[in-house]
Amino acid sequence: MLFSSISFLYFFLPAVLLLYAVAPKGLKNTVLLLSGLIFYAWGEPRYVVIMVISILVGYVFGLLIEKFRGSKLSKVFMILSVCVDLGLLVYFKYVDFFIENFNNATGLGIPLLRIALPIGISFYTFQILSYTVDVYRGDVPAQKNPVNLGAYITMFPQLIAGPIVRYSDVEKELRDRKHTLQKTYEGIIRFCVGFGKKILIANALGELCEGFKTTDEKTVAFYWLYAVAFSLHIYFDFSGYSDMAIGLGRIFGFTFMENFNYPYISKSVTEFWRRWHMSLGQWFRDYVYIPMGGNRVSTLKHLRNIFTVWFLTGFWHGADWNFIVWGLYFAVLLTIEKMFLGKYLKKSKVLSRVYVLFLIVISFVIFNAAGMGEAIQYIGGMFGIGANGLFGDLWLYNLSSYALILVIAAVGATPVPKYIVGRLKETKAGDAVISVLSPVFAAVIIVLCTAYLVDGSFNPFLYFRF
Amino acid sequence: MKDKIKYIATVVVSASLIFGFTGWFMLKEPTEYSESERRALSLLPDLSFEAVLSGKYMSEFENASPDQFPLRDLFRSIKAYASEYIFNKKDNNKIFVADGHLSKLEYPMKDDMIDYAGEKFSYIYDKYLKNTDAEIYHTVVPDKNCFIAKENGYLAFDYGVFAEKMTEKLPFSEYIDIMPLLSADDYYTTDTHWKQENIVDVAKKLSTSMGASFEDIFRENKLEQPFYGVYYNQSGLKVPTDEMIYLTSDVIDGCTVTNYDTGKAVEKPVYDMSKAEGADLYEIFLSGTVAVSVIENPAAAEKKELVLFRDSFGSSLAPLLISGYSKITVVDIRYIASSVLSGVVDFENADSVLFLYSTVLLNNSVAMK
Repeated sequence: MLFSSISFLYFFLPAVLLLYAVAPKGLKNTVLLLSGLIFYAWGEPRYVVIMVISILVGYVFGLLIEKFRGSKLSKVFMILSVCVDLGLLVYFKYVDFFIENFNNATGLGIPLLRIALPIGISFYTFQILSYTVDVYRGDVPAQKNPVNLGAYITMFPQLIAGPIVRYSDVEKELRDRKHTLQKTYEGIIRFCVGFGKKILIANALGELCEGFKTTDEKTVAFYWLYAVAFSLHIYFDFSGYSDMAIGLGRIFGFTFMENFNYPYISKSVTEFWRRWHMSLGQWFRDYVYIPMGGNRVSTLKHLRNIFTVWFLTGFWHGADWNFIVWGLYFAVLLTIEKMFLGKYLKKSKVLSRVYVLFLIVISFVIFNAAGMGEAIQYIGGMFGIGANGLFGDLWLYNLSSYALILVIAAVGATPVPKYIVGRLKETKAGDAVISVLSPVFAAVIIVLCTAYLVDGSFNPFLYFRF
Repeated sequence: MKDKIKYIATVVVSASLIFGFTGWFMLKEPTEYSESERRALSLLPDLSFEAVLSGKYMSEFENASPDQFPLRDLFRSIKAYASEYIFNKKDNNKIFVADGHLSKLEYPMKDDMIDYAGEKFSYIYDKYLKNTDAEIYHTVVPDKNCFIAKENGYLAFDYGVFAEKMTEKLPFSEYIDIMPLLSADDYYTTDTHWKQENIVDVAKKLSTSMGASFEDIFRENKLEQPFYGVYYNQSGLKVPTDEMIYLTSDVIDGCTVTNYDTGKAVEKPVYDMSKAEGADLYEIFLSGTVAVSVIENPAAAEKKELVLFRDSFGSSLAPLLISGYSKITVVDIRYIASSVLSGVVDFENADSVLFLYSTVLLNNSVAMK
């Protein structure tokens, strides 16, 4: 189920909110667990079993790791837990990729398994891994109550698309959390911000990108328009979803970590990755990069660590070579910045931002390609190789039709709107205006987005496939 | 205190909207058909264990919930206005407004579709017409985008190039150019079609080009009800409606129409006023979508027969041509396969055959059977 759907907004959410509101404190996590399972089953009824197995594996191994803390068995159980979780992820997400490449390398014809990818498996697998590893490290106690652990893993606001909420971040709130009018208000506003970003901006830009992909009139200018539009689309799509998740979490009394912090204003690629999909970046830092030694090792090992993390980051996003290349592309850029470019980037705010935007736009062309062949074709097209001329009618039409949305998206991707609201709040009159406009904003977004949902069916969510 | 009011107001407004529409949705009767969109709406599925387990229930629910949402038409209008006036989009679901006309983007020119249409017409020629004495003609009806799109910054292909490509596919046929006789004013503002009262000159050119006589004395008749064209409701925008005028004459009044839509012969008038009660007033012309219609003119001065292969543009044109013919057989190969025409169409006695199709259909000719 998508947040940005009639079924979620007008059936699932009201039902869960009602049940949650009337449930006594001791049963609120049960409501979250059951609603999370229904939310998941709505899209993949069969794969609820996989979800339940993952929860039980996490629960049992968490207890065993804690019980045998101090002995080798604790490590064995931690490794077993990691193997089971990663095994499920590899089986469902990567097995066909491995078979296909094995076939290509050996000339064999092992049939592909063609297994449907359980929605959100990459996200919840990482959450379970963080739990068992944190228990092993002694950062958090094992959760004795399977309902609480289940509620954490299946919590529908962040179940299928993150942020990758760490168990340690919500452990206390799982036991005891406060529900206040202010939190509910903040949650609603945040949800509406994300809802608007997703429905009004991301979907519109998604249409532009789809239109580009299906036309033969791919001019150089249209390649660039597509690349820029997709870069904005993926930001508004993903950060919008994260906003909705954080807002919903707030309504249910949780504080989820931020997942985006205006990445497109970054002055280096290194900074970009501190601002983009932060929960994933931090996960890889804490569970892969630092355990491998981080930067406190020899240069060669440091490089190994960087390339390993970025190989895995790319591969996490999808079982295809373009995702691996996408990850390694960042490994190269980050290495170059660490070695010498970083200090030069600090000298010019403008040039450094142009540099980042250029490289990020290119990266998302690789990311969104249907394989490396298309990635090479598109990047070549951006520089005139294989393009159908420089300009064309279709490019001009799309540019003029989406001009305002592109401008709104470009401005909205910066902290300018937040800054304006912040400045308004500082004055008495401005604060009063915001007070009046808050319910109006919520109502307008709900009505407008409902209108778009009722009218259209173009509503895919990119991160579903991860 | 002020913050508390803000919190309460926001929560109450949001909850009222969401819970209010949820309640309304659950209590309202299902809507089976959308008059505005002219289509059957998806209905919420029946709940069953098997349907849930297979995921069928959920996917059908996802499809049906936007269709069954309360105030669907109002929400579609809100979206249309937001798209145009807030986000400054040039079109909404490919429908745009230019020069007071609602129209739909038709772009790009699809060579494979032109090829397909050419193959269909060639098949008909080879199978039924090659060995007859019938003269073969074709014309391409420009859709109104040819007059309003490019001038207003919308995408449109070159009509001349389109007609030329089509003509190249039909070496057995003579092309009749009607483009110079048409302008945007000759089309309904809310519909794709041309106005019958404005195409008398087109009918005259076609008739005379095919060697038939043409009587251009017509009486204008206006329907009382406004004409909401196909784009009116699709657009969701509130624009002025059209008026529906149809032309009669003594010759047309004396004609009989026999439809062969269901395999059986059904007598119908030239202007089917029962259709004036329906959603699409344009269907009064030859009863709308019919596979084969035969118009017979008992007042014809000589026996002269025309076979007209056409799309819906031909429905309003055919009555204007009848004065020059004793019989016009009107064929729509979207509703009957080209391979089975010999049973219902008399090609042997045809003096002329005219392929009359709009750019819209030719550019999406996959609908032809």
